[in-house]
Amino acid sequence: MIWLFTRNTLLCLLGAALLSGCATRSLFQPYPDQARQWKSGLAAGAPPPSVLDKGAAGADGVLYLQELGRVTQLDGDTDSSLTAFRRAFDHYRETDEAARLRATGLVTTAGALMVNDNARPYVAPDYERIYAHAYQALNYWRDNDVTGAAVELRAAAEEQRVAANRRQREIAEAEREADQQSIDPGQFDGYFAGLNAAAGEVKASFQNAWTFYLSALFWEAHGEYNDALVDYKKALEIHPDADWIKEDVARVSRALDGRYPRDRGLVAVLYEQGYVPPRREVSLPIPTPHGIFAVAFPTYSAGDKPLPRPLTVRAEDGQQAATGVLTDVGGLAARHLREQVPGMLVRQTLRATGKYNLQKKANDDFGPLGAFLTQLFNLVSERADLRGWLSLPAYGQAARLMLPPGEHRLQLSTPGGGASLTVPVVERGLTVIHVVALPDGLVTRVLPVQEGSL
Amino acid sequence: MVRVLSLAALAMALLLTGCASKVDYGDAQARETVTTDFGSTDLQMIAAKMVDDMMVFPPIVDMTRERRPVLFVDRVKNKTSEHIDTESITDTIQTKLINSGKFRFVDMSVVNRVREQLEYQQDSGMVDQATAAQMGRQIGAEFMLYGNLSSIVKRDDSTKDVYYKFTLKLLNIQSGIIEWSGEKEIRKTRKRSLFGL
Repeated sequence: MIWLFTRNTLLCLLGAALLSGCATRSLFQPYPDQARQWKSGLAAGAPPPSVLDKGAAGADGVLYLQELGRVTQLDGDTDSSLTAFRRAFDHYRETDEAARLRATGLVTTAGALMVNDNARPYVAPDYERIYAHAYQALNYWRDNDVTGAAVELRAAAEEQRVAANRRQREIAEAEREADQQSIDPGQFDGYFAGLNAAAGEVKASFQNAWTFYLSALFWEAHGEYNDALVDYKKALEIHPDADWIKEDVARVSRALDGRYPRDRGLVAVLYEQGYVPPRREVSLPIPTPHGIFAVAFPTYSAGDKPLPRPLTVRAEDGQQAATGVLTDVGGLAARHLREQVPGMLVRQTLRATGKYNLQKKANDDFGPLGAFLTQLFNLVSERADLRGWLSLPAYGQAARLMLPPGEHRLQLSTPGGGASLTVPVVERGLTVIHVVALPDGLVTRVLPVQEGSL
Repeated sequence: MVRVLSLAALAMALLLTGCASKVDYGDAQARETVTTDFGSTDLQMIAAKMVDDMMVFPPIVDMTRERRPVLFVDRVKNKTSEHIDTESITDTIQTKLINSGKFRFVDMSVVNRVREQLEYQQDSGMVDQATAAQMGRQIGAEFMLYGNLSSIVKRDDSTKDVYYKFTLKLLNIQSGIIEWSGEKEIRKTRKRSLFGL
């Protein structure tokens, strides 16, 4: 009878593993390995691999759609990028509107408890949602759809606001849960040290000064000085030492009094450097009632983060500016992971206990062979959740110049190469140059000039 | 045995009808509450409120007693965080105003095509000049309709609250006076259910 029961359990387990295997692609193949397929050759104009389209239809759809949106944007295929991000936004909406306790959610959570966290459908963290809206704004901007760009910039700001309100409550809740399970996150200080180092200066996992700066520029160009001032100030709040943002705040404050510099137009370089570092897997000893178990845990290593390198822009009249770091995306990702840790510890402890019980039962009922097989399953299935939007940049930087109206020849130089381009400058207008430095080259795009009222 | 079979048949039937998708016509004026996003009911409510307000405003009633003033629709600025086709709202308002018989409209969005047609009638040599429309005979609009649609969105884990404010203004082009202004507020709240599939 017991034998039959155990056999059923094993069958169920196998079923769960198989089912969740269909659901998410990252269950047994680490996500960073998959991401290498679309990250390589991007600047050279390689088309997005079909794996992205396939992934978009799966349980982790939102993740692959974000990647697809970004990859097609870098390829210059604005229409595909618009569609991909729109589909990703549909996923956000579904997540926001779904019932808080879902039957299907319980099933996948149970699956995740038996296998690993990759069985849980991917939910885009706030910093990714903010980036998706900002990139969608750039898509509309490129199509010269001013209203569309404005809508997306407002949506990005809304995401940041909602995230700020939600954050505190969520962390408190997760810590209380960890407390109930008598788990002390403090005992993994060594593990957190690496994560904290990767998070660096980043104070909150959602504060994105780069998107604030982008929207501030946009509002300023359209004469919405009040909105511009608010967003410049938010960017300054995150980077209180940035003198050039202080100048922006002063300029827009004067504009509110009707004093705006004449015979000058803004040229801004929005510079994105490299790729955000992927998560790494570490083995963490988790104490359970049956002893200490080594479980796989995701982390970020500070060593993976590239150093921020500025881009220098030089005009023919000798004016020049170097970009400053506004957003450390690797830091945002590490801070986000850090916030997830209490909840993950709870699940990992339950999982370690469950796997121990299974192994013990197999040993009791089937002898060494059963024990070996379950051990093998436990070993293979013990994988950290390494998923995350990996075509994001490592750093979001920006610089701006005030130039007289007319055509200007600008020289951009980065450690990985440079570019020379001619851009139009309009009085009281804004010319944005979007530069993305990838390992295999520089992607440079001049966006349509913004001017006049919205 | 028969009972088991009939139960199975019933279950099968339930399953099949549950899966079959169905197309049906609905009432275009019915309240739509699928999401908190801007929807058809919001559009209808706004248009109805604007037209009703305008038609009973005493100075407008006086003005339209003897004549039918000519208006043109500028545009309604979308200041929300949603992609909303504001032209669709102004189209509905314009249609209702025209159908009231009190106003006439000129359409700025077709100026280029009208000019093409006029040039064809005048210059192509194909049109009998006795019937050709003359250049420079169009009637200038006396008033301009324009406005804003703004929103405030608040959301947390369990609730989403959306507030829309639609403002429409009627401006006398010559004097620059705003002759009338109307406003419609809409509040929508969504609570997330606790349980679900």
